[in-house]
Amino acid sequence: MLLVCATFPLIWVGGLVTTYDAGMAVPDWPSTYGYNLFAYPWQTWLFGPWDLLIEHGHRLLGALVGFIAITFVWSVWRNDQRFGVRVAALAALGLVIIQGGLGGARVLFDERQLAMVHGCVGPAFFAYCIALAVFTSGKWKPVEDDLASANLPRLQRISLLTVVFAYLQLVIGAQLRHISVMATPGFFRGAALFHLVMAAVVTIHVFQLLFLAKQQNASVAALRFPTTLLAALVLIQLALGGATWVVKYGWPEFLAQHTFAAPYTIQAKSLFQSLIVTSHVATGSLILATSVMAFARSVRLNRVPTVALGSSALMMELAT
Amino acid sequence: MSRYLSNSVSSRSFVGCVVLVLLVSSFVGCTTKAKFSENAVYILKQERDLNVEISPQQRRDIAEVLAGMFGTPDKPNVPKLGGIDIANVLDATQLHVASGPVSSDERGRARGLYREHCAHCHGVTGDGAGPTAAFLNPYPRDYRMGVFKFKSTPKAGKPTHEDLRDILANGIPGTAMPSFKVLPNNEIEALISYVRYLSIRGEVERELAYLTADLVEGERLLDVTGSREDRSEQAASIRETAARVVQKWVDAESQATPIEAPDPERDLVASIKHGRELFYGPIANCVKCHGDSALGDGQKTDYDDWTKELEPINEEALEQFLGLGNFVLPPRNIHPRNLRQGVYRGGRRPIDLYRRIHNGIDGTPMPATLVIGDDAAAGTKGLTKDDIWSLVDYVRNLPYESISLPPVIEQGYQRERL
Repeated sequence: MLLVCATFPLIWVGGLVTTYDAGMAVPDWPSTYGYNLFAYPWQTWLFGPWDLLIEHGHRLLGALVGFIAITFVWSVWRNDQRFGVRVAALAALGLVIIQGGLGGARVLFDERQLAMVHGCVGPAFFAYCIALAVFTSGKWKPVEDDLASANLPRLQRISLLTVVFAYLQLVIGAQLRHISVMATPGFFRGAALFHLVMAAVVTIHVFQLLFLAKQQNASVAALRFPTTLLAALVLIQLALGGATWVVKYGWPEFLAQHTFAAPYTIQAKSLFQSLIVTSHVATGSLILATSVMAFARSVRLNRVPTVALGSSALMMELAT
Repeated sequence: MSRYLSNSVSSRSFVGCVVLVLLVSSFVGCTTKAKFSENAVYILKQERDLNVEISPQQRRDIAEVLAGMFGTPDKPNVPKLGGIDIANVLDATQLHVASGPVSSDERGRARGLYREHCAHCHGVTGDGAGPTAAFLNPYPRDYRMGVFKFKSTPKAGKPTHEDLRDILANGIPGTAMPSFKVLPNNEIEALISYVRYLSIRGEVERELAYLTADLVEGERLLDVTGSREDRSEQAASIRETAARVVQKWVDAESQATPIEAPDPERDLVASIKHGRELFYGPIANCVKCHGDSALGDGQKTDYDDWTKELEPINEEALEQFLGLGNFVLPPRNIHPRNLRQGVYRGGRRPIDLYRRIHNGIDGTPMPATLVIGDDAAAGTKGLTKDDIWSLVDYVRNLPYESISLPPVIEQGYQRERL
C-alpha cells in the first residue's frame, strides 16, 4: 500500500513535467547538474526555476519509490516464503529500475518517444502495485456460499477487457501528448479519433462491470467498491477529457459560435490549464489501477471455490 | 496468474486485444528529426499556372539555397544581405533561444520555445500544418505567404513588432491561438523573432520557386558546376530577392497607420446613427458580408487567400493539391465575424476596430477603406476618418442593439434587395 501511495504522486509530478515540457530542465542523468541526485542544493531546487523544481522533484520521488520497492522486496524475503510472492516483489523492483532507466534515457537521448514510453510504463507500474496489494492483502476473504450464483466468469472477462482497453486508451493518450512536431495532421486526427472511440469503449465496459457487480450477492461486495469507483472515475475523466481539449485547443467547432464560447481565449501554460491536463493524465492512471483492482479481486474470487469447497463447504456436507 | 484466469476469457477476446495492441504499437516510434519541408503547394501552383515542370534537381536547389541562407530548425541562420540591416528584424541570439529541441538550464533560461509553444499547430516550417492543425478552425496561420491578419499597417504591409507582440500576449479569442501572457518578456521576443524568421524564409522560398518556374528546362537556380561569374551572378540575384522580402519587414516598423482620436465631445447617438447608415450604405456596404442583422451571415462561401491557392472551386485542381499529402488541409469557407457577440479576433479596443475597418484584414475578403479627406467634394467615393469612427461606434453598439428595431427605423436603413 505504501508503494501505491508513493507512486500516485510520482505519476502526478511526472504528468506535470510533460505538461510544462520540463523533461529537459536537467540535462544530465543520473546526476543533477553534476551533483549526486541527493546532494543537489535544496535551495536551488526549491527556489530555482519551476521546470527544475518539478523535474528534480520527479527524480527524487522516483528514487523514494525505488527505496520503498527495495524495502518491500527485503520485507517479502524475510516474511513470506511463497515463491510467487517473492518473484512478484522482485518484478516490482525490476519495473522501478526499468522505469528509472527509461526516464534517464529520455534525458540522455533527448527523445520524446522515450518520454512517451516512460509515460506509459509509469501507470503500468502503478497498476501492478495495486494488483500486488490486492493479491497480498490478508484482510479480504471472500465468502463462498453465494459464489455459485455469482456470474463471476463474465465479470472477470469484462474486467480483464476493461484493463486492456484502459491501458490502450492511456497509450493513445500518451501518443497525443507526446506527439512529434513532425507528425502529420492526419496522424494526430487518427490518434485523437481513436482516443474518442476508446473512451466510449472503456465507458461501456466500465458500466457493464458496474451493472454486473450490482447483480452479485452481498458476498462479493468487495467488487462493488472498485466498480463503483471506476464508474465515478470514468465520468470524471470524460469531463476532464473535454475540458483538456477546451483549455488546449478551444471550444470545438459546433460550440465555438455560441455566445458562451466565442470570447474564450486559451491561456497557454496557465495554472488552470496545467491542472486540468495533468488531472486528465493522472485520472487515466487511476482508472487503469482501479480496473486492475476489479480484475484482481474477480480473479481471487474465482479461485476460491476449489479451495473453499474443499476446506469448508464440501467438508461440512460430507460430515452431515 | 494465468492459471487463475477464467476459461471464459475467450480466445476471441484475446485476439481482439492483441490486434488493438498491435494497432496502437504501430503509432509508436514515428519520431522524426525536425526539418523544414518544402512548399509543395506553391511549387505545384507554379507548375500549373505556368504549365511547366519543376524538376527534382531544381527542387533540391531551392532547398539547398534556403538551407544555406536560413540554416535548419536546430541551427537557424540569419542571412547576410548586403545593405539591409537585417538585425532589426531577425536577432540571431533570439532565434537561437526559440529554435532547437525544448530544454532549459539551471537558471531557467529556455530553448526550443517555438517547438514547445507553436510547432504543434503552426508546424516546424511555419506552414500552418502542424499535427493538431486539422482539428482547428480556423486553421493555424501559414506564415510562409508573409501575410498576417491583425496588424496596424496598411493592407499588404507586414506586421510590426508590436502587432506580433499583441497577438502573442493576448491570443485570439474564439480560436486555438492562446495568450502567452505568462511567458517572460524575453521569451515572447524570441518567439516574435522566430515567427518573422519562418515568414521571411517561407516568402523567400516562394520567390525562389517563382524564379525557378521561369527557368528554361535544365537551367538551375544556383549551378555550383557553372563558371565563377555565373555563380556569383546567380547568388547576387538570390540575395537581391531575399533582400526585397526582408526590406518589407524593415519598412513595416514605420508604416503603422496613424490614428487620430475621435472627438471625445462628439454626439455618440448621432455617431452611432451615422455609422448604421454607413453599415447599410453602398460605400462601406458592411451588410454585404456581415449580413442584414450583422450576424456574420451575409455571405459564407468565400475563402481566405491561403485556401484560394488550392483553387477550391476547381475540382480537378483541388484534387491535385489535396493529393500532395495530408499536410494539405481541406478547404474551408471563411465566415465574416458575427458582430452581435462583441468578440473581435484582432482586439476589441476602439483602435483595433478602427484599424480593421481602415486597413481591412489581409488574406481575407475584408477590404481596406478608401479614405478621403474631410474636405472632399460631396459624392466622392470613400469614407472620412470621422466616418470610420462612426462605424466603430456603431459596431461597438451592435451587441446592445435589438436585432428587430422598430419597423420605421428598420425600413429606413434596409439595404436594397435584388
